[in-house]
Amino acid sequence: MKKISFRTDVLPLKNELFRLALRITLNREDAEDVVQETMIRVWNRRDQWEQIESIEAFCTTICRNLALDKTKRASNQDASLDDEGHDAPDHSYSANPEEQAMQRDKVERVRRLMNLLPEKQRTCMQLRDVEGKSYKEIAAVMDITEQQVKVNIFRARQSIKQEYLKQEQYGL
Amino acid sequence: MDYKYIEQLLDRYFEAETTLKEEQILKAFFEQTEEELPESLRQYRPLFAAMEQDETLGDDFDARLLEMTEEKMQVKARVISLSDRMRPLMRAAAVVAILLTLSTALNQSFKEDKVWADQSDYALRYEPTGDEPAMAYDQASDSLKSDSLYKPTGYLE
Repeated sequence: MKKISFRTDVLPLKNELFRLALRITLNREDAEDVVQETMIRVWNRRDQWEQIESIEAFCTTICRNLALDKTKRASNQDASLDDEGHDAPDHSYSANPEEQAMQRDKVERVRRLMNLLPEKQRTCMQLRDVEGKSYKEIAAVMDITEQQVKVNIFRARQSIKQEYLKQEQYGL
Repeated sequence: MDYKYIEQLLDRYFEAETTLKEEQILKAFFEQTEEELPESLRQYRPLFAAMEQDETLGDDFDARLLEMTEEKMQVKARVISLSDRMRPLMRAAAVVAILLTLSTALNQSFKEDKVWADQSDYALRYEPTGDEPAMAYDQASDSLKSDSLYKPTGYLE
């Protein structure tokens, strides 16, 4: 097994972990704290690195658990949903600024819908649709079966599609 | 243009039946602008655009984490490596000290050897003249006479 280095194998996972933590905590500061805590914990267990099959899955599992702890402790999910107003860059090449703004708005609406999903569906969708992980990897991180991962992803995609299209249709 | 394949993929995507590769194809397809997409598929564009990996942490995070972890280790390691680095120097100094001591000792014994060699040289070159016993007697009595403690006449009188 190859030698694991904090700088080249653990630290580069920061963005992926941050996006997952953000998806669970719905708060940037909390998410950053979670990633930092995750990395410190992983660092403190460096004597076990050699026995770990996948350092990425190991980090992701710790990150999710810490993020869940944080939301449980804060239990401010509903409050933080509203002030989560970070503007994400939309890589739309549309020349029209009005059109661009509309696109951004639509994307933001999808993200809000995603954040309203139950945590398991949200996490499954985040790991699959944003990070491109296999069902097997997600199952290992979440400690559920691959079938359960699939069910969660199915439900997440279905409800986002339905809710989004409904909003579009009624112009909400 | 026929979008049957994409439509099929899309249906399977919502059923959670697509592979990662097929999902990449869908993502890439929906990266087109709304005008480029066929009207029937336009509405799905935001569903894929929302899955971009656009949230990141800054470099200050790396700096902070490295300071908390590896850098701390390096400081510790530096303390050890300092004495490690000093070790060859100490060794060299010890060697120099030994060499200096040795060379001083050798020099001295060389000098002594030379003195001895000169003296033995002199002894070898010496040729007796036959007057030596008389000379020795004169010298001895001269030195005895000049000694104030020596008073032979007093004792004889």
